[in-house]
Amino acid sequence: MIKSQITNYKSQTNSNTKSPKFQTDAFLLVIVISVLYIVCNLVLGICNFCYAQDSDKSAALSKQIIGAKSNAELYAPFEELKDSYFKDNKYTEFVESLRALSQQKKALEPFTDYYIALSRYQQLKYLEETQGWDEYFSQGNTYRDELTKAAQNAIDATTINEPLNPYARLILWQFHKDQQDAFAEQALTDLMNSVMEYSKVSADTKPIKEAADKLLSYGEKGKSKELYRIYAEKLAASDIKDDSLAAIASGFYKEGNLDLAESIYNIYLDRITASTPREKLLPVLTDIAREFSYKDQGPSDPVYAEKIFKKIEELAGKKVFDQELMYLRAFNLEKAKEYQKAKDAYIDFLLAFPAATHSDEAVFKVGIINTYILKDKKEGRNYFKELISKTGTLRPWGISALYQLGLLSQWEDDLTAANDYYNRLIKEAAGKYPQMLARASERLKEIEEGKPMEYGLKTFLDVSLKEEYSALDMSKIDLRTRPYQANKEQAVNISSAVYAAPTGCMEVQLQYLWSGDLGSKKPSNDQSAFATVYTDTGTQVINLVVVSPSGIIDRSLDLVDTY
Amino acid sequence: MRLSTSNTLHQGRFSRQSRTVPFLGIILCILFLLGMASRPKPKVYIKKLRHSRYQLIVDRKPYIVKGVCYNPIPIGQNHEYDWWSSPDKPWIVDGKLMQEMGVNTIRIYQAGENPEAVKKVIRDMYELYGIRTILGHWLGFWEYPCPFYGDKIFQDKIKKEVLEMVELYKDEPGLLLWILGNENNYSCLGMVNKWSTPEIDNEPDPQKQKAMRARIYYSYVNGLVAQIHKIDPNHPVALGNGELIGLEFAREFAPDVDLVACIIYRGRTFGSLFRSLKATFDKPVLLSEFGADAYDAYLKKEDQNMQAFFLESQWRQIYENLADNKEGEGNCLGGTTFEWTDEWWKHDENNPESWKVHDTESNWSNGSYYFDIKADGNKNMNEEWFGIVALSEELENGLNKRIPRKAYYVIKEFWKNPSLDNKSKNKVKK
Repeated sequence: MIKSQITNYKSQTNSNTKSPKFQTDAFLLVIVISVLYIVCNLVLGICNFCYAQDSDKSAALSKQIIGAKSNAELYAPFEELKDSYFKDNKYTEFVESLRALSQQKKALEPFTDYYIALSRYQQLKYLEETQGWDEYFSQGNTYRDELTKAAQNAIDATTINEPLNPYARLILWQFHKDQQDAFAEQALTDLMNSVMEYSKVSADTKPIKEAADKLLSYGEKGKSKELYRIYAEKLAASDIKDDSLAAIASGFYKEGNLDLAESIYNIYLDRITASTPREKLLPVLTDIAREFSYKDQGPSDPVYAEKIFKKIEELAGKKVFDQELMYLRAFNLEKAKEYQKAKDAYIDFLLAFPAATHSDEAVFKVGIINTYILKDKKEGRNYFKELISKTGTLRPWGISALYQLGLLSQWEDDLTAANDYYNRLIKEAAGKYPQMLARASERLKEIEEGKPMEYGLKTFLDVSLKEEYSALDMSKIDLRTRPYQANKEQAVNISSAVYAAPTGCMEVQLQYLWSGDLGSKKPSNDQSAFATVYTDTGTQVINLVVVSPSGIIDRSLDLVDTY
Repeated sequence: MRLSTSNTLHQGRFSRQSRTVPFLGIILCILFLLGMASRPKPKVYIKKLRHSRYQLIVDRKPYIVKGVCYNPIPIGQNHEYDWWSSPDKPWIVDGKLMQEMGVNTIRIYQAGENPEAVKKVIRDMYELYGIRTILGHWLGFWEYPCPFYGDKIFQDKIKKEVLEMVELYKDEPGLLLWILGNENNYSCLGMVNKWSTPEIDNEPDPQKQKAMRARIYYSYVNGLVAQIHKIDPNHPVALGNGELIGLEFAREFAPDVDLVACIIYRGRTFGSLFRSLKATFDKPVLLSEFGADAYDAYLKKEDQNMQAFFLESQWRQIYENLADNKEGEGNCLGGTTFEWTDEWWKHDENNPESWKVHDTESNWSNGSYYFDIKADGNKNMNEEWFGIVALSEELENGLNKRIPRKAYYVIKEFWKNPSLDNKSKNKVKK
């Protein structure tokens, strides 16, 4: 029997050895399984190692927390402990560990309460973001309840001297703000009071800045500004040197935190204005004005830039502005849509530097602002005529001025004059400005065929020039272009936002009547935005009228410079 | 001495008087109280508490409106369908489901044309399930070409319709209150269903035009309210209003309305609505239309969780602002969620073929519903997906099968145990 079995086995093994392919496959399988086994073990090992490390770290931090002799020693280990749990979204585990800590040492309760509130807050956010709805719906109420109770406990157990107090107020406000509930307003008042009180008794600026940053991120611009001002004042009150203060402001500017940068610059300027000679102060002011002036890329605040420009003017008069700075001021005002001031600034620029590179552009823009924004057609015409009366070959702005003069004449039904302007344009622009040539040809065709002007363009001219539409002051449409200074063939994005009366869930169909220099695209009437490219150099004038079923909402205009 | 005698005499007369006067006073008080007691309280009324807090009282008990907007249009039909007369009686199936959820009120935008059928629905809902009905009237908002609120003929026509409605249904035991209009106030701003009068046309200032329209509209509604109060003192009359727009005019021209029925779509909650209302027009508020759709226009798929998330949060804020929650404004009477079932006809109401299709194309945009705001053109509101109960093409007893969505269960749980985010949550009565 045994013998026969052995024989059988041998015969089986023999039969196996008969197929070399099977042998190779089996060998490979063994290798793959072995490799997989090793890899799995390795991963498991790494995980265990990490877990052990994390666990060791948590244990060490817990020990450090238990052994701390003062509250001041608690902030860093608690923060580290929080980070170690939060990085893996282990919120409930963190809450459990906090409870364990407070059981071991009751004095830790304000801290553990604060971190429980923070943890539940983050957890609710995490569940909403990751759409972890099962837990959200089953545990949401419990977490919210724990959050509010724990935050309140932390507030009750701390005095205004402790940073934990404003931090707990901050988390409570964030929670109510997110919930958009009836308590958000009171929570905000409490937070502001807490931070302000804290700022009076403590030299520590961290909670002030963190609260201000958070307020800013929630769109509470006024309140954040208030706290940034306090933060900046505290910074200034310290031993910090002027240069360091300016460097900090510049740092915040680069981070894009313009409110804080401006607050610190203001304090810095207050500090140095009295003690610095004018010739040294002016370059400082100029640099700040340049930094904040409008630019297509990077942070800018044209309103703040203009404030600094004004300071420069007050300090040394307009004569101190060089050609570039004067143009920058006018351009900055134009982009801030402060058209009246921009027009004045361009005129100052032209008076000071009539032969400057940007002079034709400035003349053209003054013409446009006068005509379409200030409704002073006569004055606008004078500027356009100034451009076309120049000797020699017309520059792009001269060509555009011819078009504008043709347009105004056509709109006034002075078709002979319009014809003359368009024909001269076609002659002067031949081979150089294809998009402008196309527009002028369209207008000429309208005149030749006795057709009315294109509807969108005619509407824009009516709304901009007729007295009956004077209530439409360009305040209900926000028309924006990116970039404002574009190279030829570069993509330019034009978008609009309309501030219309509310209509609830009844959607109002708006018509967007685009006209003017729209580049390569002809957007349809239902497009609130579009992308285009320009092939002509010069200043492109984009016009928009928005119409609702019950009438015209408003008009707007934007200027883009192409090179 | 004389003086003293006289005094005594006087005292004696006075003491007789002083015994008689309290006695008479007591008698008068008893008579007054008896008179008061014999004068019946309105069946439904609003009790004003201290600090402009309001409570709806129904049959002498406080009543929180836990409602839904109800318009059970079956798949393949549109708003013209007369579900009131349907032999399949959708309200019987729906009423049972509502009762199980905890719904105590339905809001109907306008009664059907057959009064007997309407009465049957109101009675069945109340007698079978204890669910009360809010009856509304569009006030001609959808009349072609527009609602001429400044025109006497139009005014009289609508007034006749409204008063007929009141006469017909005021004695129904299941009736809760009346709502006049819905978002009609938007027509005063001139953006939708714009109407005018020769005087308004002569006014060049658009702001003054709006004010003129608002004055005409709210005065007209106030007149209707006064008439209804005369005919039916037993039920409050609400002013239906989109958001709080125009209520500064209502304060002046519609002081007789008992409450404001607000249509609000602000996403997660209602923001500062309750406080703002107090400052603008100090009346109690019923959130008569609010909610969220159950379709993610960005991911292009149904998302019941998203709807449940918004609804739970909205109901929490409603409860926070009820009269008995000291932390809130106390001027909220409850709400009626939009809506009970999906309505498949809404996206393309002129195309009968589309009434058979559950359209997923959105008609409007609302950034407060942020999960799917990145949808094309930011259009994220799917009008055919607002039901907390979905409809199936499969028929059950002649009706489209009802499939409750997650929001149904989440709100049911919330109503059972209304958990608020403040200390006094335990004080809120269910």
